[in-house]
Amino acid sequence: MIKYIIRRLLNLIPVLLGVSFIIFVLFNLVSGDPTAVLLGKNATAKQMAELREQLGLNKPLFDQYLDVVKSAFTFDFGRSWATKQEITYMIKQGAYPSMVLTVPAFIIATIFSLIISLVVAFYRGKGIDLFVRILCIAGVSVSALAYILGFQYLFAYKLGWFEISGFEYGFPDFVPYIALPAIIWILLSLGPDVRFFRTIMLDEIYQDYVRTARAKGLSEVVILLKHVLRNALIPIITYVVIQIPSLILGALLLENFFSIPGLGGITLNALNSSDFPVIKAMAILSSVLYIVMSLVTDILYTLADPRVKLK
Amino acid sequence: MKRLAPLLSLMLMLAIVGCSKQDNFDEREINLVSPEKIAGYDPIHASDQYSGNEAGKVYEGLFEFHPLKRPYELMPNLAEALPTVSADGLTYTFKLRKGVLFHDSPAFKDGIGREMKSDDVIYSLKRLADPKLMAKGWWLFDERIVGLNEWRTKYSALDATVYEEEIEGLKKVDDYTFTVKLKSPYPQFLYALAMPYSFIVAKEAVDHFGKEFLNHPVGTGPFILPRFDQSNLIVYNRNPKFREKFYPTEGEEGDDKLGLLADAGKKIPLVDRINVHIVVESQPKWLSFQKGKDDVIELKDNNIDQAITKEKELRSEHKEKGIRLILKPQLDVTFFAFNHEDKTFQNRKLRQAMNMAYNRAEANRLFYEGTAIDAQGVIPPGMGGYRKEFKNPYVKFDLEGAKKLLAEAGYPGGKGLPEITIQTRNETIARQQIEFFAKCMDKIGIKINVGMNTWPELVNKVTKKQHQMYTMAWGADYPDAENFLGLLYCPNQSPGSNGANYCNPEFDALYKQATVMQDSPERTALYEKLNEMAAVDAPWVFGFNRTRMYLVQAWLKNFKFMEFNHNQFQYLNVDLEVKKELSKKF
Repeated sequence: MIKYIIRRLLNLIPVLLGVSFIIFVLFNLVSGDPTAVLLGKNATAKQMAELREQLGLNKPLFDQYLDVVKSAFTFDFGRSWATKQEITYMIKQGAYPSMVLTVPAFIIATIFSLIISLVVAFYRGKGIDLFVRILCIAGVSVSALAYILGFQYLFAYKLGWFEISGFEYGFPDFVPYIALPAIIWILLSLGPDVRFFRTIMLDEIYQDYVRTARAKGLSEVVILLKHVLRNALIPIITYVVIQIPSLILGALLLENFFSIPGLGGITLNALNSSDFPVIKAMAILSSVLYIVMSLVTDILYTLADPRVKLK
Repeated sequence: MKRLAPLLSLMLMLAIVGCSKQDNFDEREINLVSPEKIAGYDPIHASDQYSGNEAGKVYEGLFEFHPLKRPYELMPNLAEALPTVSADGLTYTFKLRKGVLFHDSPAFKDGIGREMKSDDVIYSLKRLADPKLMAKGWWLFDERIVGLNEWRTKYSALDATVYEEEIEGLKKVDDYTFTVKLKSPYPQFLYALAMPYSFIVAKEAVDHFGKEFLNHPVGTGPFILPRFDQSNLIVYNRNPKFREKFYPTEGEEGDDKLGLLADAGKKIPLVDRINVHIVVESQPKWLSFQKGKDDVIELKDNNIDQAITKEKELRSEHKEKGIRLILKPQLDVTFFAFNHEDKTFQNRKLRQAMNMAYNRAEANRLFYEGTAIDAQGVIPPGMGGYRKEFKNPYVKFDLEGAKKLLAEAGYPGGKGLPEITIQTRNETIARQQIEFFAKCMDKIGIKINVGMNTWPELVNKVTKKQHQMYTMAWGADYPDAENFLGLLYCPNQSPGSNGANYCNPEFDALYKQATVMQDSPERTALYEKLNEMAAVDAPWVFGFNRTRMYLVQAWLKNFKFMEFNHNQFQYLNVDLEVKKELSKKF
């Protein structure tokens, strides 16, 4: 397995080279000259030329590409062109609020979804199954924005149960700020998660081994928890772990509406100000997280199913 | 799951128990809101209003705008008085106020802030020109001060910039006196010295903090900064070593009646703390204000009709809480600019026809709740050069007149005129505004397409002249119409501020003449002539001069609308008794 992990980690090299190339080409071909945006409304042609020189935009394209590659491998992204802040610091500052919001919400949502989907799989075709299915469809049909606006108005403003917006660093100070957005995240996740997990459970429930277990007289609870859930773990792990990078990268809408200073808006802000170093950092970070998480998925497969061997 | 249950319950309990922070009735504390994240505190980059407002709490300039008097009046701040000017209008001699201290900082010996002197002013102005820093405020002094451009050019080729090298245009006379020698008359010079770009910094602080200087401001201002989370919360405490500075004893007529002179003569700042919450979205901003968590908010878009009636009156539920409404015309202009390098738009009658076909009354109702004013020309009301009596003959909705002009332009019923694309930002409201404009133009047979762009894309198209038309707004940098008329000055064409690439030799000659004149009735007359000349030539489809709308809590005292408000916060006060009393209603 160690060999496998090393090989997969080495795969990062071509991936990072590819990502660097794509970001570089897209930035140079699509977004054009960033200097007018960076200098503001009174920019002059001379000043724009000077800034282009200073940002290294006059260097040969290959040298510029090498700079991108270098930062991808050293994780030294320098400073934001727009805010002049250290990018590593910006990411650290933003990752904490994003993660304290998304990680607990994600864990709770996943556990709730699994429990609900097991229950509805058990009562498949009965009233409760229908009821949950209708709720799930209703849940995914209403836009996230409607939940956010409605819940913020009702629970934070009218009832005063939570803070309307803002954030404090450190536990438990952040709890009043993240509780409501976390609840909204959980509710928003339940619909698609339960539908997906239910389908997987139902796929398993009609397998031969379940009939065998029943024939041997095992209780339904044991069958569901010990056999069905275990066998359904592979697609569940795939579905769950692959979401982890997006937890770190934040929840744009929730963060914006609850004024949580997370990473959600960082890429969007960077795109709106042609802030190439930040765009580059976020794209590279996403790729690395994605690769690492797919590796974690593979390792978890071996734990969930001993038949899986990593070679 | 059993183990998780208590954890979940605890979390929810904490959430519910700790939900609402108690209001602070013991300390004079102001709660403000900023709709943008704050990039940092280096004054030379404070190009947007929000960064300028934050810089203005910790830093100061040589001059500032009077918080009450209108039209805007400059008053000395770090300078002891207005400068003396040589007979040729080129050499300014400034005297500095004595005893002004920088904030305590590890940058100074023993951590104690030292006195601000002439060297600091010269250093701060030179920082704007430092080629290594690429200051956003450099345009203010570019080609203005003798020797400064040469100094900049010299050090752009070298590794390090030497600030100690003296230049002819910036000379220290003694610790409290210095001179500035200009290349040519620059009547807006003192305004430039009141802008955040020109705030005074200490060299030790810049050297000590290096690239992190933007997060560690060390100014002479009324507040110090114990907490700076650029996208969450900024906290300011009163600067205990702030010099003797007092609330003004006179203002505009009527200020006394409004209670704006109740603190006259008192030492400022009047509050102990300012909290600035960064809130981007409008709903949380609106709800927090309604809960009494913030003391003042600017009304925007979807909150306007929740706050005011069609008659522009504050709704009764807000009046009951003692909230005040402030509606004030803003020094800005919105426009749909033609690209005059496109031959189609070199046809004046076409431009005039499009101006006449635009139904401003309806657009005003749809997008500004009827609070905006039709822009008659380039200069907004409230600025020298705007003449109330002047009505632009083409800024009136007249479909028949527009059709007639369009026919005279050679496009009867729009026939023969290619489709026109207007570039705008990819925001809902911007799209709606262009769609409404397109509907108006369609009525005379002109077909309009909407080009949606991210902000960088839009700026790129305009600076590279890759547009037919674009829409934008321009806000005043300082209260001088030159700042608006320059939008139509030929040498300022793209990538400069004249994105319409409008060139009119007669306009240019008069502009050149007017902009070197000191403020006088003669210059105002020239500004009026320029404004009206441009207005009838219809270089843009004129939009609006918008109105700013503020809601102010009853306990917030001394708030008066200021266009250039970075120094305003030190004059604000809180009536704790009123706050305590009214908090029951929130």
